[in-house]
Amino acid sequence: MSIIEDVGAGVRAAAEEFPLAQLTVALEKFGQATERLRWVRQESANPMGVPELSAATEHAESAGHALRVAQEQLSAYLAAIGLAPDGAPAPRPDGDRRPAHDAPRDAPPPVAAPPPAAGDDNPVLRRWWAVRVAELTGGREGAPDEPDERIGDSRELLRRVADGVRAGDRDRLHRELRAAHADVGLGLAAIAPPLLRELAGELLGHPPRADDLARLRRELDGRIRDLLPGLPPPVLDTLLTRVCRMPPPQRSGEQPHAADPAVTAGVVTGVLLARLGRDLPRDADDPAAAGTGAAGNPAGNRAGADRPAGAARAGLGGNSAGNGSARRGSDG
Amino acid sequence: MASVAELKAAIDVALQQIGEGQTAVQAAGEKLAEAQQTLAGALEGSGHETVEAAQASLTQASQELEECLAATLVAVEQAQLYVSTL
Repeated sequence: MSIIEDVGAGVRAAAEEFPLAQLTVALEKFGQATERLRWVRQESANPMGVPELSAATEHAESAGHALRVAQEQLSAYLAAIGLAPDGAPAPRPDGDRRPAHDAPRDAPPPVAAPPPAAGDDNPVLRRWWAVRVAELTGGREGAPDEPDERIGDSRELLRRVADGVRAGDRDRLHRELRAAHADVGLGLAAIAPPLLRELAGELLGHPPRADDLARLRRELDGRIRDLLPGLPPPVLDTLLTRVCRMPPPQRSGEQPHAADPAVTAGVVTGVLLARLGRDLPRDADDPAAAGTGAAGNPAGNRAGADRPAGAARAGLGGNSAGNGSARRGSDG
Repeated sequence: MASVAELKAAIDVALQQIGEGQTAVQAAGEKLAEAQQTLAGALEGSGHETVEAAQASLTQASQELEECLAATLVAVEQAQLYVSTL
């Protein structure tokens, strides 16, 4: 083994030690605890630790994102010194290969050597967000492309998603979602849920509660399946139980992909807006600004109040690289 | 309508889940520290931009884990306080 290969082996060994599995367990437990406490406190003004638990969830998610960013950065380093992430010599550059990284926007760009070819089946180097969006929407992944910098935050993305849904154009929806940076996309899970509960309340004529779950599912399931044919059914179920302030459904043990709750929250918001003939409120972070009728109900406001300050920031982890920290949060 | 006993039981379960999450976060912190050490050993002397960025990301992850744990401690305290008032 050459010295370079030795360095590569050390880097890969370190990357394999990243505790993503432990974080997944932690997030699952915190999510379960949050849902249970929310269920307990439905009618109580006492926060019972829910905001703190939401904040804990956000920190854990940020940590996970920082780890994934570090993995990408290390892969870029390995490529820069002439090693592919699996230890083989990096392929020689040819043509106009373009970086396929999905690092936070403020992160320093990968330097030097080109990344693997577009067709490489390397989950670290591929834009995992775009890949998952393609799976969810039933679209083709296509050639790797750069994120659209015009989609600067999650609100802008939510607006585009809502427009795509209203237009009934799945390809457009696919394009808009896929073009987003991962941290912007994940931020949908932070900003959409308060709005979702409010819109659902408007649809139902009252704040969503447990016995509205079946109706909401009936109203939304078909359309969501149409727009997100690749979405695992439990993701929508979980989202709707949260909207109805219910304990989460029993899980089969398999964690949803990190992008699934965010994409679902954004698309369901778009579907509800279209169903109600509404536009996205000017300030989507503020459910109270969303509208009228049941929308302004106290329960809806409380949904927003549950979130700690800053919880709706729209970038997930950009912490590690200077972005805001976003969140699936337990609201979403 | 739920009884006080049911509320307490539900909060107890939530507290247990938080405890399990805390254990996982602590394990994550330990494993991350090991990974940072491994990486530091392998990349000692490197001034490569992406290496520095990766190490900064790992430091950030470590800080997030600490803040996560701290937030859960407050959450547990709040929930326990509420149970004591029931």
